[in-house]
Amino acid sequence: MSKWIIQGLRTGVKSTRYPRRPEEAAGVTPGLPAAESRWPSPSGAEGAALSCPVGALETSGTRLTADPRRCIHCLRCASGPNPVPWEGGYEWARRTGPADSPLFDRGFDHSLHIRVVDAGACDACLSEIKQLNKPYYNMHRLGLFLTPTPRHADVLLVAGPMTQAMRMPLLKAYEAMPTPRRVMAVGTCALTGCLFGPSFASAGGVGSVLPVDVEVPGCPPPPLAILHGLLLLSSRVKKSDEARETLGEAAP
Amino acid sequence: MMTPAQKAPSALSLDAEAAARWGGALRVSPLPPDGLLLTCDPALLPDLCAWLAGERHYRFATLVTEEREEGWRLRTLFWGREPLWVHVLVEMPLQLTSLPSISDAVHAADWHERETEDLFGLTFTGHPRLGDFILHEEWPEGVNPMRWSFNARVPYIAREVDPQWRPVRIVQAPGAFAMPVGPIFSDTAQASHFLLETVGEDVARTIPRLFYKYRGVEKLAEGEEPAKVLLTAERFSGTSAIAHAWAFCQAVERIAGVDIPPRAQLLRALLAEFERFRHHLAALSDIIHSTGMTVASSQADILEEEALRLAGAWAGHRYLYGQVVLGGVARDWTNEEVEVLAGGVERLAGGLGRLSRRLRFSGSFLDRLEQVGLVSERQARHFGLVGPVARASGVPEDSRVDLPYGPYGSPLKTDIAVEEEGDGYARLRVLVAEALATARLIREGAERLPGGPVRVEVPLCSGEALGWCEAPRGVAFHWVRLDEGGRVARYRLTTPSFTNWHGFHLAAERFAFQDFPIIMATFGLSTAEGDR
Amino acid sequence: MSPAAGFFLLFVLLAGSGALLSALLPDRRVPTGLAWTASLASGVLLLASGAALESGTGFAFPLLRLPVLGTLGFGIDRLSALFLLVTALVFLPASMYSAGYLARYDGRYSLRLYGVLYHLLLLATALTLAGTDLVTFLLDWRLMSVFCMLLVGFENRKQENVRAGYLLLAMTEAGVLAATLGVLFIGGFGASGLDFAALRAAAPHLSQAAAWTVFLLTFFGFSVKAGLLPGSSWLPKAHPVAPAPVSAVLSGCVLNLGIYGIVRVNLDLLPVRYVGEGLVVLIVGSLTALIGILYATIDPDMKRMLAHSSIENMGLVTVGLGAGMVFLASHLPVLAAMGFVVGFYHMANHSLYKSLLFLGAGGVDLRTGTRDMNRMGGLLRVMPYTGLFFLAGALSIAALPPFNGFVSEWLTLQTLLQSAQFGATGVKVVFALCAAALALTAALAVTCFVKAFGMSFLGMARSRPAEQAKELPRSMLWPMGLLAALCLALGLAPTYVIPALDTIVAPLAHGSITEELVPPFFTVGPSGDARYGAGFMKDFHAIGAQVGRGLLPGRGLVVLHPGGEKNPVVFAMSTAYTAVVLVLLLAGLALAVRWATQGRTVRRGLVWDGGVRHLFPDMTYSATGFSNPVRVVFQAIFRPTTQEDTRESVHGHYRTALTRSQREPFVMDRLFLLPLTRLVRGAARLIARPHHSGRVNLYTATVLVTLLVVLIVNWVRP
Repeated sequence: MSKWIIQGLRTGVKSTRYPRRPEEAAGVTPGLPAAESRWPSPSGAEGAALSCPVGALETSGTRLTADPRRCIHCLRCASGPNPVPWEGGYEWARRTGPADSPLFDRGFDHSLHIRVVDAGACDACLSEIKQLNKPYYNMHRLGLFLTPTPRHADVLLVAGPMTQAMRMPLLKAYEAMPTPRRVMAVGTCALTGCLFGPSFASAGGVGSVLPVDVEVPGCPPPPLAILHGLLLLSSRVKKSDEARETLGEAAP
Repeated sequence: MMTPAQKAPSALSLDAEAAARWGGALRVSPLPPDGLLLTCDPALLPDLCAWLAGERHYRFATLVTEEREEGWRLRTLFWGREPLWVHVLVEMPLQLTSLPSISDAVHAADWHERETEDLFGLTFTGHPRLGDFILHEEWPEGVNPMRWSFNARVPYIAREVDPQWRPVRIVQAPGAFAMPVGPIFSDTAQASHFLLETVGEDVARTIPRLFYKYRGVEKLAEGEEPAKVLLTAERFSGTSAIAHAWAFCQAVERIAGVDIPPRAQLLRALLAEFERFRHHLAALSDIIHSTGMTVASSQADILEEEALRLAGAWAGHRYLYGQVVLGGVARDWTNEEVEVLAGGVERLAGGLGRLSRRLRFSGSFLDRLEQVGLVSERQARHFGLVGPVARASGVPEDSRVDLPYGPYGSPLKTDIAVEEEGDGYARLRVLVAEALATARLIREGAERLPGGPVRVEVPLCSGEALGWCEAPRGVAFHWVRLDEGGRVARYRLTTPSFTNWHGFHLAAERFAFQDFPIIMATFGLSTAEGDR
Repeated sequence: MSPAAGFFLLFVLLAGSGALLSALLPDRRVPTGLAWTASLASGVLLLASGAALESGTGFAFPLLRLPVLGTLGFGIDRLSALFLLVTALVFLPASMYSAGYLARYDGRYSLRLYGVLYHLLLLATALTLAGTDLVTFLLDWRLMSVFCMLLVGFENRKQENVRAGYLLLAMTEAGVLAATLGVLFIGGFGASGLDFAALRAAAPHLSQAAAWTVFLLTFFGFSVKAGLLPGSSWLPKAHPVAPAPVSAVLSGCVLNLGIYGIVRVNLDLLPVRYVGEGLVVLIVGSLTALIGILYATIDPDMKRMLAHSSIENMGLVTVGLGAGMVFLASHLPVLAAMGFVVGFYHMANHSLYKSLLFLGAGGVDLRTGTRDMNRMGGLLRVMPYTGLFFLAGALSIAALPPFNGFVSEWLTLQTLLQSAQFGATGVKVVFALCAAALALTAALAVTCFVKAFGMSFLGMARSRPAEQAKELPRSMLWPMGLLAALCLALGLAPTYVIPALDTIVAPLAHGSITEELVPPFFTVGPSGDARYGAGFMKDFHAIGAQVGRGLLPGRGLVVLHPGGEKNPVVFAMSTAYTAVVLVLLLAGLALAVRWATQGRTVRRGLVWDGGVRHLFPDMTYSATGFSNPVRVVFQAIFRPTTQEDTRESVHGHYRTALTRSQREPFVMDRLFLLPLTRLVRGAARLIARPHHSGRVNLYTATVLVTLLVVLIVNWVRP
C-alpha cells in the first residue's frame, strides 16, 4: 500500500493551471478552422468551402467563414492545395440563451454536480469527459463533480447525436433533476447531429429534445473546451465571444 | 489400395470435398486471390456451414445480407487455412422471407441472424430467440429499416412503449428478480442496459439490452460517396478510428484494385499501433479504476493523457481522426517526426511497464481480478470471440498474423500475446503485453520506413470487397459494395465489440454483483462500436 | 376469598362456559361468540393476575390431599401471576382479532371445534400456571399440549400442518418427561409430597450430583417447550401453520410456559447453586438467539420468519436468566436480580410484540393469500394501519428506541457487561463471548426486520393479490393497535416496570434491584439520600433528570446503574426523555422544512431507475435477495444442502430455464432431530422387534418383569 502513496507523491502535481492561466502544452486541442478568412478570389474561397464534407465553411465573396458547430476536424480543408488557416485555442463553448441573463439563479457560481448522459456518442467525447476527472484536468479542484444520479445533478451533460432509443432515458433523467437545472450539449453530434442525423435513428442533436443552455463544439471537444463550457455555465469565465477575440494571447 | 471413402477428409482439398459431398447442389467457384465461393440453396446452408465450422475448423467472420433487385443475397464469410476465405452465398427471391438458421452449428452467427431479422425482416427458422434485438420494444413490428423501401433520412418517430412487453426471463427460483443496470448508470459509462437475473448476491444470468446507441451507420452509408462514408467509419467508434477507417479504405481500395505505396502502408500501421497503445492504456485505466485503486488508476490516467497529447501534437488530432484517407494517409511525416512518435511511445511504454510490475505485486488488486469473469477456451471458440478477450482465454488468433494485411507479416512481424486462464487478470496481462509489443512494433516500423509517396488516387469504381483490420478490441470486418456510380450500395460493418458482447454474459454470470463492473472493465467493450 | 381468587374462579367459569357455548353455536356465529367470551375470560384473568400482583399475596385452593402425592390444588403466587398477566395480555387481543380472521375458514373447517379448542387452550394454559403441585401442573400441561397440537393441525386437510402438530406434541412431551423425572428426583430426597411447598422444603438436602442431575433434566426438558436449542426443531414447523391468533398465542404465551418450568424448578424449588449451571443456561441462550435470528433473517416466509425470531427471543430471555443464575450462584444478589428482571422484562416484551407481529402477518396472509414476502411489496399503500402497527412491532423487535425491545435488550447487554466484577477469567470470557453473540444477534435482528417490513410493506407490489389487497376491518386493527400501544408503553416506562418486576424477583434472587436501577429523582431532592449522595443528585438535577416531577408518579424516568467512586454511572438511559426529544426534533425538522420550502412548488418525480423504459416489480429487490448476503456469509451454518441447478436449452446454446432451488434445513434438524430420530428408530427396531411376536405370554412376561424391577428398585432404595 505504502508504495502507491510514495509513487503518488513522487508523481507530483500534473494538473493544468487553466482557467487561471492558459494551457500551453502541445496536443491539448485539435484546433478549428479560422472563424473568418479572406481569400484572393471568390472562386478560391468557394474551392476551399467545397473541400468541407459537412458544409461547415461558407463563402460570401472573398470572405470564408467557418461554423464551429459543424466542424468535425476532418482536416480536409487544411490539407488541400489551398489550405484554410487553422487556429488553436479551446475556449469554444457558447451560450444559447439571452446573453445577459445569469445561467443560474443564485448560489450556483461555485460547485456543480454533473450527470453525463451518453445519447449515442462515439466514445471519444465520453473519453474526453473522463479526462476531466483525471489528474491532468482534475475538475474537482474547481468544484465540479460527476454524480451517478440525476437526482443530485445541476447540469445534464449530453453527448452524441441523440439516438431515438436514448430519447426516453434522457427525458427521464431530465425529469429527475431538481430545478434550477441546465443542459450542456457536448460535441458536434450533440449540436447538429453531424454525420448521423437527423435520420430514422437519431434526432440530430440534443436541442430537438431538450432546451440546451451551453453548446461545446468539437469532434470531440478537447477536455479544456468542455471545462470552459462548465465554467461558462457557472459564470466563472467571460462569454465565449469575448474569449474568442482574445484567443491570440490565450493559446499557443 | 485406399478407396476415396477411406481417405481422411482433411486430405482432400476443400473444393474437392465440397464437390464430393454435395455434388451438383453446390456451385464452387474460385474467389481470387485466396478464396472460394460456394453458392447453394438455403436448405443446404446449415449442413454446409456445420461442415465448414465443425470439420474444416473455419472461423465465422460475418453475415452480409443484401436486398437486390434480383433477390436476396446472403453471404456468410468464413476464414481459415487453404483457402484463406470461404464465402457461402445464398440467393433467393424477394418473396421468400425465411431460411434455415445456422447458429445451431455456428453459434457465432447467432447475433448476426438476429440483427438480420430485425433490420431486414428475414426469419431464420430454428432460431429460438428472434426479435427485440437492435430495435427495441418501442419499434413497431414489420418495419425493417434496412429495406430499400424504408426512408432513412427522415426521423422515424412512430414509436410507442409497448406496455405488454416483458423481458424473457429464465431464472426460476423463489425470490428471483432482475436487477436493472442502466441505460444511464455509473459516472461516464456508455449507454447500455443490463438486466441481471439473480436471487441476490450472485448474478445467475445476464440479459444485455444493447443498441441504445444504434445510429444506423450501415443504412446511412447507402448512396453516399466512399470519401464521406470514410468519415462515418472513422467516427462511429471514436476510440478505434484508425482501425475502422483502414478497414473501410482497404475494402474500397481492393474494389478499385489500387496498390497502396509501402510508405503509406507502414504509416497506417504506425497510426493503428499507436491507437492500440492508447486504447490499451485507457482500458487498463478503466480496469484499475473499477477496482478502486485511486493512485494506480491516476498513474494510468497520466499515461493515457500523455498519449493523447502526443497524438494531438504529432498528428493534429487527439483521436487521430482524418489521418487515414482513401489511397493512403492524409499527410507525410519526416523521419525525424516519426522518430519523435517512436520515442514518445517508448517513454510511455516504460511507464506502463513500471506500473504493471507494481500492480502485479498489489494483492488487493489481484484479488479482484483473479478467477473473476471466467471465459473458457471452449466457450471463446464457440462464441467466436476475438481480440484480447479471446487471446486471454487461450485462443491464439490475431488477424495481423492469421489474415495478414498491409505491412503485417512483412515487413512488420508481430507475435500473439496469449494467456490461458480466461479470467480478468489474464485479460489485463494480454492488454499490457500487447501495449508493450506495440511500442516495439512502432520502433521497428520507424526504422524500416521506406521512402516514396504516401497517397495515390483511387479511381471511381464499382464492385464488392471485404476489408479488415485488427482493431484494438479485435478484428473488424468491413464489407463494401459500390454501385455503378461509385457510391456505396451496401456497407456491412462487423465490429469486435459486437462479436464480443455476444459472449459477455459468459463472464458476467456466476459472479457477485460487485464483480460486474470489474468484469465489464476487463472486457473493455464499447457500445458505440457494437451498436453502430 | 381474596379478589384474585374470586376473579380466577370467574375466569375458569367463563372459559369453561365459552367452550360450551362454542360447541352449541352454529359455525357461522362462532367467530363473534368466541371473540366475546374469550376476550371476556382473558379480561377477567387479567384482573385476577393483576390483583394477585398488586396485593402480593396470591391465593391457594387445596383441592385434594393424598397420602403420597401431598396437597393437590390451584393457587397463584407472584411468579405465576406474572406469567398469567402476560398470558391474559396476549389472549385478549388475539381473541378480539379472531372474529375477523376466522371467517376465512367458514365452510371449510369446523369453527365450532376451533372455538372449543381455543377456550380449552386458554383454560389449560392458565391452570398449568396456577398448579401448585407437580400432579396438577403436569395434568394441565398435557391437556395444553394436546390442545396446541390440535390447533396447529386445525387445517387438517394439509398434511404439513397435521405432521407439524404431531412433531410439536412428540418433542415437547419428550422434554416434559425428562423434566418430570428431574422433579421427581427432588421428591426422592425425602419430600413429604409432590406439592411445590414440600419439594421446596426437600431441595436443600440434595447432593451436588443430584442437584446437577435435576438441573440438567429440568432445564433441557423444559427448554424444548421454550424453543431453546437443541430441541427447537418443532417450533419453526408448528407456529407458522397454525391460524394467526393461535400462532400469536403459541409464541406469546405457550413458549413462556417452558420458561416458567425452568424458573419454577431452578429458581424457586431448587435454586441453582453452581456457577456452571448458570453458564450452561447462558451459553444455550446465546447460541439459541444467534441461530434463531440467522434463520429468521434468511426466511422469506413471513410467519416462519417470526417463528425463528421467537427462538431468538427465547434465547435472549434465557441469556438474562442465565446471567442472573451465574450471579446468584456467585452470591451477588443485586446483579442476580438484575438478570432475572431483565429476563422477565424481555419475556413480556416478546409476548407483546411477537403476538402483534403474528396478528399483522395473519392479516397480510388473509388479504394477500400468501405468507411469502417475495410475493408482497407495497402493502403500506393498501393496508396503511396494518403496516403502521406492523412497523411498531418491527421497531420493537429490532430493539430500536423508544420501543420496549430496546429497553430489555439493552439491559441484557448491560447485565452481561457486569461480569467485570468476577474473579474467574473463564467466566469473564464466556460472558464476553455471549455479549458478542448478543450484539451480532441485535444487528441481524435489525437486518431481519428491515427486510420484513421493507420487502412486504414498501416498494412495488410483486404480485396481483398484494396490489389489490384491502385494509383489515376495524375489529382486527384495534387489537393490533392495543398491542402496539403496550409495546410503546413498556418501552417508555421501564422505571415503572422494573420495580414491579423487582417485587416478583426479590424473593428468588434474595436481592432488590429497584434502588440500583431506578434512582429516585422524583422522590428525593437535590440534597440526595443515603444511597445517592448530594453531589450525584445535584449533577443530575442540573441536566434535568427530575423533569416531570410532581406530574408523574413513581421514582423517575431514568434507568441508571451507579457504580463506585471512580465511576459514578455504569450505564444510564431514559427512553421517555429520548422519545420527547425525538418528537421535538422531528417536529422541529418538519417545521424547518416547511419554512424553508415556503412558497415553493413541490415537484414529485418518479423513482430514478437508470432511465429504463419499464420498471417492473420483479426488477426490485426481493426478500430472498435482500437476505442473500447473510446466507452467503454464514454458509457454514446454513449448509444449503439441496441445490439443484438444471439448465434446459435449445440446441445446447439457448437456455430456456435455469431453475434453482436452495433449501436450508434447520441446523437443529440436521444436528439433533434427525440423528435422534434415527437412534430411536434403531433402538426400537432392536428392542421392540424380538418381542413383537404376537404371543400373549411374552407380553405378560414383559409386564411381570417390569413390575419386579420396579419393586426391587423401591426395596433397595434407602
